[in-house]
Amino acid sequence: MKQAFGLFFTLTLIVSGCSKKKEIPVEKAAIYFNPVSADSSGIDFINQLYHLDDLNIIEYLYYYNGGGVAIGDINNDGLEDLYFTANQTSDKLYLNLGNLKFKDITKEAGILTDSTWSTGVTMEDINNDGLLDIYVCKVGNYKTLKAHNLLYINKGNNTFVESSSEYGLDFSGFSTQASFFDYDNDGDMDVYLMNHAVHTPRGYGNISRRQLKDSLSGDRLYENKWDEGLVKFSDVTQASGIYSSVLGYGLALATSDVNNDGFMDVYVGNDFHENDYLYLNQGNKTFKESSADYLNHTSRFTMGVEIADINNDKTLDIFTLDMMPFDHEIFLKSGGEDSDKVSQIKKNFGFQTQYSRNTLQLNYNNRSFSDVALMTNTYATDWSWSVLINDYDNDGLNDVYITNGIYKRPNDLNYINYLSNVDFSKYDRTKQDEIERKLIEKMPTINISNIIFRNKGNLEFEKLTHQAGLEPSYSNGAAYSDLDNDGDVDLVVNNINQKALLLENKSHSNKRHNYISFTLKGDEKFKNPNGAKAYLYADGHEYFKELTVTRGFQSSSSHKLHFGLGNSEKVDSLKIVWLDGSTQTENGLEVNKHQSIVKKPKGTISISPVAVNNSLLERFPFFHTENNYQDYDRETLIPEKLSTEGPASIQADFNGDELEDIFIGGAKYQSPSLYFKQSNGTYKKDEKSDFIKDIIYEDVDVATFDYENDGDLDLYVMSGGNDAVENDQKLEDRIYLNNGKGHFKRLISNLIKTNGGSVSSQDFDGDGFDDFFIGNRSIPGGYGLSPYSFILKNNKKGEYNIVLKKRLGMITDSKWVDINNDKLLDLVVVGDWMPITILINNGDATFTDHTLNYGLENTYGMWNVVKILDIDGNGQKDIIAGNAGLNLKWKASKERPVKLFLDDFDKNGQLDPIIFYDFFGNYVPFASKDKLAEQLPSLKKKFLNYSKFSKINGIEDLTGMKEENVLEVKKITELRSMIYLNVGINTKEIPLPQEAQTSSVEDIYVEQKNNKTTIYYVGNFLDYTNELGQSSSNSGGFLTINKNLKWESIKKLPLPENLNARKIIKIDEKRFLVIANNDQSFSIESIKE
Amino acid sequence: MKNKTINKIFGLLTILSFMLMGCTENTAYKEQLKDPELFHSAMQKLTDVMVHDIFSPPVASRVYMYPSVAAYAIIQKAYPNKYNSLEGQLNGFTEIPDATDKNVDYHLAALHTFCVVGKELIFSEDKMTEFQEDMYKSLQESGLPKKVLNASKAYGDEIAKHVLKWMDDDLYKQTRTYPKYTIKEEDKFWKPTPPDYMDGIEPHWDKIRTLVLKSANQFPAKPPLEFNLTEGSPFQKQLMEVYEKVNGANAENTAIASFWDCNPYVSHHQGHAMFATKKITPAGHWIGITAIAARQSNNTFDETINAYTNVSVALFDAFISCWNQKWISLVVRPETLINQYIDEQWVPLLQTPPFPEYTSGHSVISRAAAVTLTHLYGDNFSYIDTTEKEYGLPARSFDSFIQASEEAAISRLYGGIHYMMAIEEGVNQGEKVGNYIVKNLHTSKNQ
Repeated sequence: MKQAFGLFFTLTLIVSGCSKKKEIPVEKAAIYFNPVSADSSGIDFINQLYHLDDLNIIEYLYYYNGGGVAIGDINNDGLEDLYFTANQTSDKLYLNLGNLKFKDITKEAGILTDSTWSTGVTMEDINNDGLLDIYVCKVGNYKTLKAHNLLYINKGNNTFVESSSEYGLDFSGFSTQASFFDYDNDGDMDVYLMNHAVHTPRGYGNISRRQLKDSLSGDRLYENKWDEGLVKFSDVTQASGIYSSVLGYGLALATSDVNNDGFMDVYVGNDFHENDYLYLNQGNKTFKESSADYLNHTSRFTMGVEIADINNDKTLDIFTLDMMPFDHEIFLKSGGEDSDKVSQIKKNFGFQTQYSRNTLQLNYNNRSFSDVALMTNTYATDWSWSVLINDYDNDGLNDVYITNGIYKRPNDLNYINYLSNVDFSKYDRTKQDEIERKLIEKMPTINISNIIFRNKGNLEFEKLTHQAGLEPSYSNGAAYSDLDNDGDVDLVVNNINQKALLLENKSHSNKRHNYISFTLKGDEKFKNPNGAKAYLYADGHEYFKELTVTRGFQSSSSHKLHFGLGNSEKVDSLKIVWLDGSTQTENGLEVNKHQSIVKKPKGTISISPVAVNNSLLERFPFFHTENNYQDYDRETLIPEKLSTEGPASIQADFNGDELEDIFIGGAKYQSPSLYFKQSNGTYKKDEKSDFIKDIIYEDVDVATFDYENDGDLDLYVMSGGNDAVENDQKLEDRIYLNNGKGHFKRLISNLIKTNGGSVSSQDFDGDGFDDFFIGNRSIPGGYGLSPYSFILKNNKKGEYNIVLKKRLGMITDSKWVDINNDKLLDLVVVGDWMPITILINNGDATFTDHTLNYGLENTYGMWNVVKILDIDGNGQKDIIAGNAGLNLKWKASKERPVKLFLDDFDKNGQLDPIIFYDFFGNYVPFASKDKLAEQLPSLKKKFLNYSKFSKINGIEDLTGMKEENVLEVKKITELRSMIYLNVGINTKEIPLPQEAQTSSVEDIYVEQKNNKTTIYYVGNFLDYTNELGQSSSNSGGFLTINKNLKWESIKKLPLPENLNARKIIKIDEKRFLVIANNDQSFSIESIKE
Repeated sequence: MKNKTINKIFGLLTILSFMLMGCTENTAYKEQLKDPELFHSAMQKLTDVMVHDIFSPPVASRVYMYPSVAAYAIIQKAYPNKYNSLEGQLNGFTEIPDATDKNVDYHLAALHTFCVVGKELIFSEDKMTEFQEDMYKSLQESGLPKKVLNASKAYGDEIAKHVLKWMDDDLYKQTRTYPKYTIKEEDKFWKPTPPDYMDGIEPHWDKIRTLVLKSANQFPAKPPLEFNLTEGSPFQKQLMEVYEKVNGANAENTAIASFWDCNPYVSHHQGHAMFATKKITPAGHWIGITAIAARQSNNTFDETINAYTNVSVALFDAFISCWNQKWISLVVRPETLINQYIDEQWVPLLQTPPFPEYTSGHSVISRAAAVTLTHLYGDNFSYIDTTEKEYGLPARSFDSFIQASEEAAISRLYGGIHYMMAIEEGVNQGEKVGNYIVKNLHTSKNQ
């Protein structure tokens, strides 16, 4: 009966599949896969699921995780064969007969044909006999499921003998996937066995629980004793230092030498609140979990992982998958990121930052990673499982294939809140099965297409689905291989309740593009080449691949190394670095051909551990400590904290000894500090000045000026903060007078009390007395509103007159500069939700806004810093400005700006700042329905469910108010950090290189030498709300541009990752001081390689 | 056999006679409108929609109160000799206008205004509108003349407007955007609790205008025990008491805890799947008990409204009083401390609700409601409480309202969500609030 139902279901799927084909045929993209029918291929495998009362999505949380695929040449005939795992039916083994024809040899080969629950599968030669063996993971020991993991030893002639118990690998528990790799470089394959957990924890608990072992869950490491002549694996979990606890919801596994130190490391992607593990191999049979040191954040519900070089810089990058939707409707009705409060609670429990989206972690010098998934728009691929990186169109750039789909979607908020309610009048234990069945029936079902990101170079990707031949499915495990040996990589995909897909690569460009591929063969001792690195040099291009096979999700791919060569006609050389440390180089390789490379007995040994030069980085004895104020507790809809500005800092000679001293402001409850430079280059903290008393202020900016015209530098310290209302004493700015020897006394005066943003002092009218620009950051409590900013003219009697009072925007930086070369100082002002604003000095103490005339009318950004100089040496002023960058959920353009609507929409006397942004082509509200309804309770009535809410496309849909009637609408049209050349004459845009767009640029120092301009920048911004996520991918770097506007050098500064860097000051010939918000400050040396 | 035939004939006759009467005048609707069940069903509808829409306990008390007061105001006009006006009795409430149209049926107008004000407070208005339409249709089928319907609806609308205007000034709207609770590090302070770690509910509920009480802190609880985890300290002993009570719970304790759970939204996590079970709130439970008492006492239509009004007013003020205490004392929940210091795997019997511990809300509001009901129906009022039956919990018998309120209070200890101090002091607080309301709110002229 059940069988019949299953069949019927398949039938309807096929029928509905047919009706889809009525759509107008789309033009084939550069990458195109043609599904080969089961009739033709002979692959009729289906991972068919049958609802059982004791086995369904409620009883087993990973019920819809599906099966895997393993690819490998089991009979050494040059054609790679296929193994599929099934959950409730029999696994299948198919022999590749060539020409994409396959033969089911499951039974003859000796594969067990029961209906135990298989998960991951991998093919590897574990006994060094030159034949690929097969290891299958199982869910065992759970409810009615009883099984142990299986090891099929290849006996030749396409036959296998199950030998898991003999080898000590018959683990029975919650296994997801195993990866065989040589963890101790002794020439045999050890194995990392990743297990998942099934319990649903009520609370997050403490991370100390990682130390507790579990018998069914918890990962294991087994060492192969082949090199000692034993047919045995021994459990070395304890000694290796890996976690083996019930906290590990391991779903994603890859083994790879990610830091290129010659030892294989392990990446484990965990589901839920547990962090992913990055185990760095210490070279002594132990691992050190290093995710916090190497990754700024990880995916939250990590499900698949791939490690490969995505940007051809010869380092291994990490791509992890999560479940973030890209369809705006699904997005608006799915549970999104943790609330700020929950993310804070998790941090308090000891967990690292995680976001519910894919990450593309770019490897930087094998020392740290930067996630650029947001920048590359690869962060949202819905409920995703497998990620496979390879060059599918042979153009020399690695592309990304992703499978996705969840048969039943349990995170639909509408379902959770309004449909899932258990009818308790009928509830009793005996009816639990029936209730569960009903609950599952009501769960939404949506199938979507798998996705290809075609690599276009320069970290740009083109998203392909139908154009690449991909149709909606529920796909889980997948693997790649050139199955027909025609020079391009094909794909095999395991689907739920639908036949497995064999996707033949039919990319048209493959006809003109060249390729080369290799099979590596080891020597007597190092029989298995797993872990070898291949560096290919062709036509000035360099390519890098590492031979590992377990990748994606529950699957293992080809054992061949495939390189697309684009138009390169020949290969210069191939360098192989084997895991024993030996290197060999091959020359004279023919392109468009597959060839075997055999390990030479005596290669050159060249292990060179990466030397980390720590001397480049020194701690500076200033630690900025923010007070505990959470802006979002008071302003529900705020996207960023405005209470964590600062620290203010300035370098100047305060005591007349011709050494540049440094003033650094404090956060609230921290007094400002003054450091006197000593002749030996060190700094001595001043203990005498008045600052010590002023701890209630948060110092956000500082300017030097001469108040009494007595020739020494006095200080104007600007106060700020979002936790007090305007005119609160705590927001008062301060003037400190210098006695000439660097001893400061506070001037008794009544200064402005606002949340300051930027203060700049110059004598703009040339009367010998310093004047001021006071730019304000916000009106506390009213995010988005523009406070008044002021230009103050010194009346030569120690008093200042307001010559300009204007709501310029949410100011962050300002510069006095003669921008139009008329010998008068003009003012350039930047901030959030505003353009780079030019106020031209009319010469009569009046100023006119010339932003439009200077061609900057479309520069609405989230600007942090502005510098003005002449880069191209043509005598005209150029602007460099630091912005939020491109690695952000928000996307902005002139045509599709981020919009901020400011009004009291519900007339309760409270400003409602509502943000909309373009989410893959549709405007969506930035705040969730729940947050919006907190601020505007009437929305609860308007949107009775999440379905209706998910249709929102603009402010009118949400509030009923037309855009043009909203009190004030602000926008962002530019998020890139930019150079604007020749402003006012012939303004030309030059964006900073991609590397500098990966995080917010907070401060810039510019140096000009030998016709070249070097831009030193520091950045990151860790104070966005959790929905937007921390900008943490780049603490700082430097860029050199020559007079001809060519970028010559793009480098990183030796700063710690994840630093909330806010200021960079050059303190001597070689060193910079970098000051961070709520963190340590550092003195660094920049290396010019 | 014979009987059946006779019944059939009688039935036919009645229908016939109704039809005949219809030709002249069908006044069956008048009887229908006297039936208190009509009002009970409106109240039940309000409860059902509230369960669907999900309201937190204090907000739910507000949803019950305003519609009840509006209905009472009309009933008072209908029976001026039996009931007192609420003007001067409820803070800010002003006398409603008299009906000018003599076609107004006061019972119908009271029902209508109840629904109109109710709709203003719930989200799923359609469900209430549907209820109204069905009710009016049925009444019309029983002969309700259009002019009476229209006049009553018009009067009901007018009074609803009057009440809503009064409601508008209760600071509810403004408090929506008041600051949320920022987590305080120290152990003694309340922190969000598993599994959802929800934000604290209504930290500014004590700014809401009280009805009979002069202010939110008119009856403050005495300060909670000093936070001290040293073994043997009074606080630590109470913490251990919660831990041990849950670990050693017997069937009766478990039944009591579940019966009085009254958590409007309990989430269940199963891996990626999440389900919610939704139930009535504590206020909803006492509104249910009021219905039982009114029925058992054969209350008339107006007496029924009077009872609901008195109880909903007491509940409303009791919640404000309790929430004032909660967000001043900010006492941490037992679950947080037990997980951190005693047993990381410990789970209370009931899901810990998302607000500070001291004083226990159910203790305060149950006692205030019980005092009010005792005032209305007497001391030794035995009844069977079937309120929770709809939510799968068997009925329980009580000898008095006070006994029920005692059980509701202690249920929080069995449930593992409150210390004894919050229960005892909660009962005290509720007693004071209840007594004050009984003393100062005079609806019925006979009492």
